[in-house]
Amino acid sequence: MWGWWRFGKWTVLIMFLHIISILIFTKGFLLTRTELPHSSHCSDLSQSPCHSSPSSSSCWTKPAVDRLIIIVLDALRFDFVAPSSFFEEKQPWMDKLEVLQRMASENPSSAKIFKAIADPPTTSLQRLKGLTTGALPTFIDVGNSFGAPAIVEDNFINQLIQNGKRVVMMGDDTWTQLFPHHFNKSYPYPSFNVKDLNTVDNGCIEHLLPSLYQQDWDVLIAHFLGVDHAGHIHGVDSTPMIEKLEQYNAVLEKVIKELQNQSGPGKLHENSLLLVMGDHGQTLNGDHGGGSPEEVETSIFAMSFKDLPSLPSEFDSSSCEPSKNICISSIPQLDFAVTVSSLLGVPFPFGSIGRVNPELYALAVCTWNLDDDKTWNNQGQTKLEEWLQIYANVLCINSWQVKRYIDVYSASSVIGFSSEDLFHISDLYSKADENWSYTKNLSSYKHGSSNTSLPVLKRQIVAYSNFLSYVAELARSKWTEFNLKMMGTGIGIMLLSLYCHTLAIKKLNKSYGVSLLSSRDSGISFGLMLTFFMVLIRAGSLLSNSYILKEGKAANFLLATTGIMTLRYSFMKNKMLIEAAIFLLLTFIFRIAIEVGLYKQAATSQFMSSSSSWMLGISISPSLWTYMAEIVPILALIILGYFLYKSISSCCWGIPKYVIMGTILSYFLIALHWISESNILDLAHFLKGFGKNSIPRTVYAITLVQLSLLAIVPIFSKEETSNCRGSLFVKMMSILSACSSTIIILQGKQGALVALGSLLAGYCMMRLQGIEKHTVSGTAGISILGPLPVLQWSLLAVCLLFASGHWCAFDGLRYGAAFVGFDEFILIPQAILLTIDTFGFSHILSVFGLPLFVAFPSPFNQTEHKSLFPIKLFWIFMVYGLITAITATATILCVTIQRRHLMVWGLFAPKFVFDVVGLILTDLLIFVASIYYFDGVEDRIGNAKLRRLW
Amino acid sequence: MKELEKNPQSTISSSQVFFIHVCCGLALVAGFWVAHHVYSLNLVFDPTKTLCLIWAIEFPVVILLFSCCRQKPEKCSYFTAIARGLLGLPIGALLNALGALALGAPVGLQYLEKTVNWSLLMSSFTFVPTACVYGSSWTDWCRIFACTKPNGPLEFMLCLPAHGAVIGAWFGAWPMPLDWERPWQDWPICVSYGAMAGYVVGMVGSFGLALIMHTGRKQLKAE
Repeated sequence: MWGWWRFGKWTVLIMFLHIISILIFTKGFLLTRTELPHSSHCSDLSQSPCHSSPSSSSCWTKPAVDRLIIIVLDALRFDFVAPSSFFEEKQPWMDKLEVLQRMASENPSSAKIFKAIADPPTTSLQRLKGLTTGALPTFIDVGNSFGAPAIVEDNFINQLIQNGKRVVMMGDDTWTQLFPHHFNKSYPYPSFNVKDLNTVDNGCIEHLLPSLYQQDWDVLIAHFLGVDHAGHIHGVDSTPMIEKLEQYNAVLEKVIKELQNQSGPGKLHENSLLLVMGDHGQTLNGDHGGGSPEEVETSIFAMSFKDLPSLPSEFDSSSCEPSKNICISSIPQLDFAVTVSSLLGVPFPFGSIGRVNPELYALAVCTWNLDDDKTWNNQGQTKLEEWLQIYANVLCINSWQVKRYIDVYSASSVIGFSSEDLFHISDLYSKADENWSYTKNLSSYKHGSSNTSLPVLKRQIVAYSNFLSYVAELARSKWTEFNLKMMGTGIGIMLLSLYCHTLAIKKLNKSYGVSLLSSRDSGISFGLMLTFFMVLIRAGSLLSNSYILKEGKAANFLLATTGIMTLRYSFMKNKMLIEAAIFLLLTFIFRIAIEVGLYKQAATSQFMSSSSSWMLGISISPSLWTYMAEIVPILALIILGYFLYKSISSCCWGIPKYVIMGTILSYFLIALHWISESNILDLAHFLKGFGKNSIPRTVYAITLVQLSLLAIVPIFSKEETSNCRGSLFVKMMSILSACSSTIIILQGKQGALVALGSLLAGYCMMRLQGIEKHTVSGTAGISILGPLPVLQWSLLAVCLLFASGHWCAFDGLRYGAAFVGFDEFILIPQAILLTIDTFGFSHILSVFGLPLFVAFPSPFNQTEHKSLFPIKLFWIFMVYGLITAITATATILCVTIQRRHLMVWGLFAPKFVFDVVGLILTDLLIFVASIYYFDGVEDRIGNAKLRRLW
Repeated sequence: MKELEKNPQSTISSSQVFFIHVCCGLALVAGFWVAHHVYSLNLVFDPTKTLCLIWAIEFPVVILLFSCCRQKPEKCSYFTAIARGLLGLPIGALLNALGALALGAPVGLQYLEKTVNWSLLMSSFTFVPTACVYGSSWTDWCRIFACTKPNGPLEFMLCLPAHGAVIGAWFGAWPMPLDWERPWQDWPICVSYGAMAGYVVGMVGSFGLALIMHTGRKQLKAE
C-alpha cells in the first residue's frame, strides 16, 4: 500500500480540491431555496394583529370575486397585448389582441392591462410554480428529478381546494403534472409536441365556452400553448404567429361577450373576474428561459364586469397613452398569487412573498361593501377612505404572512438570511405594526373624522408596502442572484487543482525518466501539440450554446480528426492500416448513433428544432426493421460473449476465470430477457413463472458477487505470475466484464451494440498505439506513452455517452433504466441504477479500461522493466483525469461567463451539473481503479526487488 | 505549355510555379464568375450546381497544367498523365467524401448530390495534381501526404495547396453547428469556402517557398 501512496496521494489531493471547488462554486451559482412544507390555514389569522374578516363566512379577507376565469396564453409577449403606440415602431405582431385594448380603453376602471414582470428562469413549469406559490423559483428541486414534479409548497390552487373552491382546468398538461389531484375537472392536452400548434388550443376552445355557462366551478383555468409553439417553430415575426394571435382575439372576444351577457345582477357572472395573462415572454426567435427583458416581460389583462370608481392617483403607477385612453401599469408576477388569493378570500399561500397589488385589487374590490356591509361603516366616510381601510387591512394580513414565512424560513433553512437582514426586516415590520395598532383604533372608534384618518391610512399603507418591497428585494438578491465571490473562489481552486494535476504529471514523467536512464528529447512532440489543440477547441466550444447542444457531434468531429491523424501516421509507418481504417469506420458508426440520439433529443427539447439529416430515406419494410432491432443486439451479445470465452481460454487461472464465466452467464440471461420481451417469439408464457424482474435482478446479483470477489480475493491469495502485463490485462478484462453485464442490461438493446463498438474501438486504439511503441522500442526498449491515445479515449467516452442515447440535460436521463428489474420507486436503488445507466459507458467502463494502453501483452516489449508499470498506470490515469478536469473547468468558466445568457437555465446549468458530477465520478473511479490495479502490480514488483537484492 | 514540357524535372522554376498557381486560381475565379454571371447561380442558394460548375472548370485546368510537370516524362506521355489525372479524380473524390462523412457530413439522399460535387472539387484540389505528377507511385504519395516531407518546389506545389484545402475545409466546418440560422451554414457551403480559402493560402505559401528556394539555389550556385 505504501507504494500506492507514493503517487496515489496526488489523486486524493486532486479529488479533494475538485470537490471543494465544486461545492463552493455551486453554492454561488445554483440558486437554492429550501421548500417548506407548511401551508396557511383560515384559523391562523387570529395570531395576527389585523382585523379578522367581519363575516363568519369568509376566511382571511372577504371574497370580492365569486368566480375567476384565468386564461393563460403561454409565452405572451408584452407587446402582443399593449397597444403599438407604447413602442417605438409598430410591428406586424402588435395590436392583434385588439379586443383587450378596446376593453381597457372603453372602461378603464374595470378593465386594465398590466405589464407583468416574471422572474427567470422563464420556462413554463417554473413560471407556473412561481405564479401559484407566489415565491421565487428554484433551479433544482430534488423531488422533481424523478417523475412527476408536483408542487410541495403551499400554493394558490392548494388554498382553493382547502377552502372548498372548485377548480376546472383545460389545456397544457403541465398543470396536471404540478397539481395531480387538485382539479374537479380537467381537460389536459399533451404539451410535448412543439410542432403541433393546434391540439392544445382547439381542446381549450372546445371546453372553454361551454364551461362558461356551467355552475360547477369557481375558478377556471385555460392554458393555451399555440403562441409558445408558434414562437419555437416559426419565430415571432411569422404568419402562424399572427394567425394564432388573431384566433385568440376571436376567442377572447367571444368569452368577454358571454361574460358581459351574464354579468347582470343575479346572473351567473355577476361577480366574476377575467384574467388573461402570459406566464412569460419570448424573444423574437421564440426562445425563453433566461432573464432578458423580452422574456420576463409578459402581460396580465384583468377585467371585472362592474362599474367601479377609479383609484386615487397615489396608488396608480400606470403610464398612460392619452390618445388611446389606455393606461398600463406594472406588476411583478410575484404579486399574482397573493392578490388573487385576497380577491377570492382564501388564505395567502404560506411561502408567498408578494404584495397585494393595489390596482389589480381595486379592479374588483370596490364593489362589495357599499351596499350590504355597514357594520363599521359610517355615513360620513368617503368611498375612498373605506377602500383604503380595507386595503390597509389586507396589507396588514399580507405583511404578517410574509413576516411569518421569513421567520419560519430562517429558522428551518440551513442557508437562511443574514442576521442584519433579518434585523432590518423585523425593524421595518415592527414600525409598520406600531402604526397599525394606532390606525386600527382610529378607524374603529373615531367615526366621522375622515380628515385625520385619510393621511394616517395612507402612511400605514406606505409603511407596509415598504416592508413588503424590502423583503421581496432581499429575497430576490438571495435567491436569484449569483454570488460572484463564491463562484470566483470556486474557479480559483479549480485552477489550482489543474496546476496540481500538471505538477503530478511532471513528477511522474520525471520518475519515469529517472528510472529508465533514457532521455528521449523532451521537446514538444506533434502528438502533444495536437492533444493540446484538441482539448483547447473542446474547452472553447463549451462557450457556445449551439456547441453544447451538439456536443456529441463536436466530440465525434474531434475524434474523427484524431482518427485521420492516426491513419496518416500508420500510412507513414505503413503499419496497422486496417486498424486505423476500422477505427474511422467506428467513429462514423458512433456518429450515426449520436445523430439518432440528437434526433430523439430534438423531439423533446425546446431548444432544438428537429432536423432529420440522418434519415436515409431508405424504406426498409417495418417488419424487417423490427426483426433487425430484435436480433442484432442479441447477435452482438453473442459476439461479446465469444470474445470473453476466447480471452479466458488463453488465461486459465483462478478467480478471473470464474468472473468471466459469470459474465458469460449474465449475457446469456440478458439475451433470454430480451427474447422474452420481444414479440417475435411468443415466449412470454414460457417465462411467466419466472417473472420479468428476476432476470435483471439475477444479473445485478452476479455483478455484485463478481465485484466483491475481485475486491476481496487478492487480499488473501497472492498469485505469482511471471508476466506482469498479462496479469494486468486479466484484471482489466475481469473487472470490465463484471461491470459490463449490468450496464448492458440497463442500457437496453443499444447497450450491447455500444459495448461491442467500444470494445472494437478500444482494440484498434491499443493496436494503433502499439505502432509508436514498436518504433521506439527498436532503439531503447522502452515504450513511450503519448497523450494522444488518452485524448482519443476520453473523446470516445464522450461519444459513448451521446451514442448511448443520453445528452446533458435532465430530460436526457433515461428514467426507464431506473425501473429495469424494479416495479416500484425506491429512491436509493433507482438513483444508483440511473447513475450506472447514465455514466456506465462514458465513465465507469472508460476509466477501468484505461490500462488497455499499458496492459496488453505487446510482442515487442517483453524486456521492459517491471517497475515502470505503476508509473505508467498512474501517468495514464493522471492524463485522463487532467483532460476531464480541463473540460469541466472550461464548463465552469463558460457557465460563469454566460450566466446572463438566455439559455443559462435551460442549457448551461444542466451541462454544468453533468460535467461536475462526471468529474467527481471520474476522480472517484480513478482512485478506486488505481488501488485495484496497483494492488497486483506493486506486490510483484516488491517481490522482484527482493529477489534482485538476493 | 511547350516550354513547360521541355524541362519537366522534379525541380521547376519559380515562374512556372507562379504560372501554374495563377492559372489554378484564375480557374477558380472563372468558375465563380461563370456561375454568377452566365448562369446567375450562387454558392449559397444553389450549392450543387455552383460547385459542379466550379470543379468542371477547375479540374481540366489542373489536369492540363500538372500533367506537364509529370515525373519521368520519358516513360510516361502527356496523355497518360492526363488519363492518370482523370482516373484520380473519382478516387480522390471518394476518399474526400469518406473523410467528410467520418467527420460528420450529413448522410442522406438529399445531400448526396452536394457531397458528390463538393468531393469532386476537393479531389481536384488535393488528389488530381499529385495523380498527374506521380501516378501511382506509393512512396512519393507517402512522402508528400503521410510524412509531409516534400522536397523541392514541385512537391511543395502539390503538398501545400492540398493540405491548405483540407485544413481550410476542416476549419470551415466549425460554424456549421452554430444557431445563427444563416443559409451559408448548411453543408457544404461554408466547408467549400474554407477549402477554397485554404487552397489559395496554400498556393501563396507554395509560391513563396518556391521563390525562397530558388534564390537559395541561385546563391548556392553563385558561391
